Formats: sequence, structure tokens, C-alpha cells
Amino acid sequence: MKSIAMPLISLQLGRRHVLLAAAGLALTSGPAAAEIGVDEATKFIDAITKQLMETVNGPAEAAAKSQKLEAIIEAHVDIEAVARFCLGRFWRGATPQQQKSYLDLFHRVLVNNITGRVGEYQGVTIVTNRAAARESDVAVTTTVTRPNNAPNRVDWLVSAESGKPKVIDVIAEGTSLRLTQRNDYLSYLSHNNNDLQALIDALRQQAGK
Amino acid sequence: MPDSSSSRVSRNWFCAVSLAALASLAACATPPAANDQEAVAEFRETNDPLEPTNRTFYAINNGLDVVILRPLATAYRAALPQPVRNSVHNVLNNFGNPVTLFNDMFEAKPRRAGDTLMRLLVNTTVGVGGIFDVATDWGWPAHDNDAGMTMALWGLPDGPYLFLPVLGPSSPREATGFGVDYALNPTTWIGRGPTVNALGYAKTGLGALDARSAVLDDLDKVTSQALDPYATIRSLYRQHRQSQIDDARADNRATVPAWFPATGTPSKPGAAVK
Repeated sequence: MKSIAMPLISLQLGRRHVLLAAAGLALTSGPAAAEIGVDEATKFIDAITKQLMETVNGPAEAAAKSQKLEAIIEAHVDIEAVARFCLGRFWRGATPQQQKSYLDLFHRVLVNNITGRVGEYQGVTIVTNRAAARESDVAVTTTVTRPNNAPNRVDWLVSAESGKPKVIDVIAEGTSLRLTQRNDYLSYLSHNNNDLQALIDALRQQAGK
Repeated sequence: MPDSSSSRVSRNWFCAVSLAALASLAACATPPAANDQEAVAEFRETNDPLEPTNRTFYAINNGLDVVILRPLATAYRAALPQPVRNSVHNVLNNFGNPVTLFNDMFEAKPRRAGDTLMRLLVNTTVGVGGIFDVATDWGWPAHDNDAGMTMALWGLPDGPYLFLPVLGPSSPREATGFGVDYALNPTTWIGRGPTVNALGYAKTGLGALDARSAVLDDLDKVTSQALDPYATIRSLYRQHRQSQIDDARADNRATVPAWFPATGTPSKPGAAVK
């Protein structure tokens, strides 16, 4: 909960404060391996959201749109990092074979869930607003407006841990997708004797749908 | 007589449901073994000691939703065009403004209270009884507020998760807030009699339809995509509440006029200084 609260509070601060804070962070933490600037992250999200809008609002058939959307996700989302986050403490306890099946299935379910909704986003506009450093990552705030819907605030969490900027979370109106997913998985596991194989089987069923 | 038999059936059904609920009332979630520290931390973070009871009420609410609320909300969305539904939403929101205003004041948020007061005045008059949301275009946007948020800003902790019959996701603080808001609402206290009562029921019913129809697709997605919809809704509810509370806490727009020499107080970005 606190991890969600922090960026939302810091987002309310002015841009200047954020830059100062980011500068301070850079000074104190020294040459961190994976760090990303606020401006770089903003440009990155601006470019992705433009691609998303072009794809979703373009004239192509639904299947072609899904394919393009999948390519965007593959290129710009650190799916493995998200998958690891969602499994929490169970990731370390998993066998290499379990880790591999889980990653594959997580990947497929995530892509299916997003591309399956491509039609609903027809006519969407996304405006990039401002960004704020959050530990070694950056949260970029956008306003997403769908026809006949009130504008939604969507924050994109960008990390450079993998070497280049990648999206590691999407926070819609204060609700984090990866945290929600993690709570879903952990609850499922706790009701299935903490047996990772049960989760993998359930995901396999979801991916097959 | 068909009446008595059907009422007996429904009474039996009701008894069965209440018995199930009562039986599970005694049930508490089993904490993990104390030596598994990560599991214990997770159990504390989940903060749902009444989980078995909550799940029972979740199942009952879900059943009611499937047979009553969801079909009605679907019909409501299909029967009325978007502009009409928007107007209903606006009127209901306008009825909620007095409660929002009280809470803005209790939280000592003068700019928020000003927004709400202007919304109430402008939308009730220029907006024809709240049908049109003129105030948003004129620079007084809507925000969420209720007594649960007020108590949160006063420092009261949320407490364990509760899933209440009919009302849904809640907590001791939020449930108290619900009661406080009911008492704060002027419409609770105006007049008595069949007409006022009927209008009150109509408002409650429309409120349920308005709220449910707004989340038809999203809730369907949660129930179809989540492995444990109960846990997913618990997570979504808590994150959403936290974000509403954080927004209120962070809204410290200055109340000094624009010509006054600037102080160090950061004003909320995007807000017009009047």
C-alpha cells in the first residue's frame, strides 16, 4: 500500500522539486547500475502512448491490431520483471522448470488480456503530463480519455533495470496492475496449500482459453 | 394458496442463508505458522482476519448481483442513451454535494469546500437541478469525499477488511463513515410521508443502477480474469480508497488571492488560481 502512496504524493509536488529530488538521489546513491532520468522516461512513455494510439485507433482489422499491440508489449514491457514481482516470495522457492513454465504462461496470459480488449479502446487519447522519480524508477503520469468516459489518470512506472527503459507497472486511478495481480496470485496460492504447481495449472487453463 | 407456499420457500431459503452466515461468523482465518516470517508478514498485510465470513457474504452478494442488480444495470444501460444516464449521474452527484461539503470542511480543505459549494450552487441553478454539470466547465471540478476519508485524514486507521451484505467491500472505519454520511445528508432529515419515502427509494435505487452500470464491463473482467476474484476486489478496493485519501491529503491549494505575494506553498498543478 505504501509503495502506491509514495508516488502519488510525490506526483503532487512541482516539477522543480522532483528534479531536485532526483538530483539529490543521483548524488547520494552514486553510480547505480540501472537508473533512468525523468526526462528520458517521459520521452519513452510519450513515444509508446503515441504508438498505442496509432495502433488502437488505426484502420486495421482487429487481428492485425492485436498483433501490433503484442509487438509493442514485447518490446517495451519488462514482462519477466512483472512476472517475478507477481509471484513474490514464491519465485525463489520455485524450481528452474517451474520458473520457466510460469514465465511462459504469465507472458501469454498478460498478452491475451491486453490484446483481447483492443476493440474497447477505439477512439482513445493519451496525453503525457508529468513525471516523478520513485526510488530508482520513474512514474510518468498520463491522462487517458475514452469516448463517453471521464478522463482517467494512468501512471506508467518505468525502470531501466534490464538495460533499457521498460514499463514495469501501470497504475490506473491509483490501482497498480502488478500489485493487484500479485494479491490475486498470493491469495490463490494460500488457498491451495502454497503449491506453486496449482497456480501454474490454473494459469495454463487461463492461457488456453 | 400459492402465496403462502412461495413465502415459505423463500423463508426456508432465507433461514438456510442466515444459518450458513451465522455458522461462518464464528470462523476466523487461520494464521500461518509463526516461524514462517514471510507468510506471517503477508497475512498481516492482507489484514483480513474474518476472511471466511467475508467470503460467505461475498458469495451471497454475488448471488444477489447475478439475479438482480446485474440484469437491471444491463437493462438500464441498454434502455437509456448515454446522455440521459449522464444526467442521472449528475443529479445524483448533486444530491451528494452537501455531504461532500461537510467532509471538505471537517478535513479543513477550504479550496475543496469552495469547489463543492460552487458546484452545488451553480449546478442546482444554471445546471437545472443538477442535470447538467456546468460547474466542471467553469473551473470547479468534482472530487470524491466522504466521512471515511475524513476519518482517515484525522489519523484513524482503516482496520481489518470487511465484506458487508449489500454494501460490499468495507472496513470498520468505512462502515462508520457510511453511517455518518447518512446522518449528515440533509435528505435524511427532510419531511416524512409516502411521497418523500418514495423519492428516497427512487434515489437509492437509481444510485445502485448508476454505480453498477458504470462498472459492468470492469467487474465482468475481474470475475473472468482473476484466479481469486474475492482477493482481487479486496486489493482493488483498498488501493482505490488509498488513492482517494492520498489525493485529498495532497490537495493543499492556497487560499490567498492571485495578486498576493507568493508564499512557498505549492499549489495543485493544473488548478486555476482564482
